[in-house]
Amino acid sequence: MITIEHLTYTYPATSRPALQDLSLHIPAGQFCAIVGANGAGKSTLCYALTGFVPHFYRGRMEGRLQVAGHDIAVTPPSALVGLVGLVFANPFNQITGACYTVREEVAFGLENLGVPPAAMEQRIAQALALTGLTDLADRSPFALSGGQQQRLALAAVLAMQPRVLVLDEPTSQLDPVGTREVFAILAALAAQQDTTVVLVSHALEWVATHADRVIVLMAGRLVADGPPTEVLTRPELESWGVGTTRYTQAARRAQAQGLVPPGRPLPVTLSQAVAFWS
Amino acid sequence: MALSLYLPRARGLHRLHPLTKLWLALFLFICGLALPGVLGAYAAFVALVVPLALWGAVLRPLLVAAGRVVLPFAVSLVLVQGLFWPRGTPLFGWGPLSFKLEGLLFAVRSTGRILMVVSSFLLFALTTRPDALALTLAQRGVPKSLTYILVATLQIIPRFQARAATILAAQQSRGLEIHGNLRRRVRALLPLIAPLVLGSLVDIEERAIALESRGFSRQGPKTSLLVLPDTRGQALARRLLAVASLAVVVMRLWVG
Repeated sequence: MITIEHLTYTYPATSRPALQDLSLHIPAGQFCAIVGANGAGKSTLCYALTGFVPHFYRGRMEGRLQVAGHDIAVTPPSALVGLVGLVFANPFNQITGACYTVREEVAFGLENLGVPPAAMEQRIAQALALTGLTDLADRSPFALSGGQQQRLALAAVLAMQPRVLVLDEPTSQLDPVGTREVFAILAALAAQQDTTVVLVSHALEWVATHADRVIVLMAGRLVADGPPTEVLTRPELESWGVGTTRYTQAARRAQAQGLVPPGRPLPVTLSQAVAFWS
Repeated sequence: MALSLYLPRARGLHRLHPLTKLWLALFLFICGLALPGVLGAYAAFVALVVPLALWGAVLRPLLVAAGRVVLPFAVSLVLVQGLFWPRGTPLFGWGPLSFKLEGLLFAVRSTGRILMVVSSFLLFALTTRPDALALTLAQRGVPKSLTYILVATLQIIPRFQARAATILAAQQSRGLEIHGNLRRRVRALLPLIAPLVLGSLVDIEERAIALESRGFSRQGPKTSLLVLPDTRGQALARRLLAVASLAVVVMRLWVG
């Protein structure tokens, strides 16, 4: 679904590339999480997957980037609408402002895609049900809480039925309740396995629970790539500026103090932690 | 929430196509300006605006809003025109000042015109959703970027004001002095405006990306969830209103 070969990208008026010699293949249906410190190139990668890099930001791009069969170098974001969806951190900025109700907000993208009204109604109902917003359908988008607005942003993108869903820190501005709600939706999506999900997030425990694969970026380069249990227990994580889950931290300390026999695999999720300690 | 006069109702004027209401507002506007006599505009108000507002169930809000706009004009017109009309029949006076009948009549006539101009706009604004107007304009070939600005501005300005209030409170809590003499007030502007403008620029970039990823500038046919019902009767009514508007203008020019 996504193939990246030796991708290097530099923003205009900067000298250091934001992405350096990145190569990556993400098959269809995979739930892939991207972690890394600030400035590691995570958002740039999200913008590249949606065509805003290089078409919106300009700058210099080398290498090859293919998303859903389209060569990004020659495909503007408007041609990727409906194929690739993007959700980012700030809920308020994703509300169009042109719509008076939640229903119409979800319809905005569908109208631009030219979806016939009957099909539109059906897709809106589905997206609202999936994101738990059915009861708020006739409210003003601006009357919602931050967490509800973020679910609305997600619903608006999901209604367009993208084959690739790109999420750039979708929970960084939400409280724990909002975070849990958004991840519950993503987990439901991942279970269906017909959407490829690329998620940038600092919420490592959620990433560990739901992602099939974790990619670590540092200073624009790929430094680790693998299943969560392998990547999120790597000792270098701290130096990459990523941190570790509390399950891994506790287990590592216990091993260091000899409380637990060495050699047991370190846990990254609650259920693994339970197995580790028993 | 939004900056809009629209009052939701499920009947009457609200169910007319925005284009019909636009033509109606234009007709009322022309009647207000063109009808002869001191009381011509008032006659149009009573005979046309009041029944229409009753039909739309917006008479009270219309009167309140129109009153707020028209009354200050009315007071100053009556005072200025009454007292400073050059020649005419004095009604009463104090010393060198005298209040003239002709000035009073002119003020009453002008007030009537202002009342009709304001109420024709209000009748439209109170009964038409801004997004329905935007859709009507878009269907008639106005670029979507323009109709988007029309609707989004109305909704985003209150958010902008809220953010300005937050920044003001934040800077005041850090000791920014916003009262006092002019110099102090001007100096207080920079720490208020800089975060507001810079923050908004960042927002605009994100908003542009969000709109683009929802197909805002995508080429090709577009559909709409909002359906604006139109009827043959309304199409006919619009033609009649156009003819009637023209007739009023012609009559005014001929009769003088």
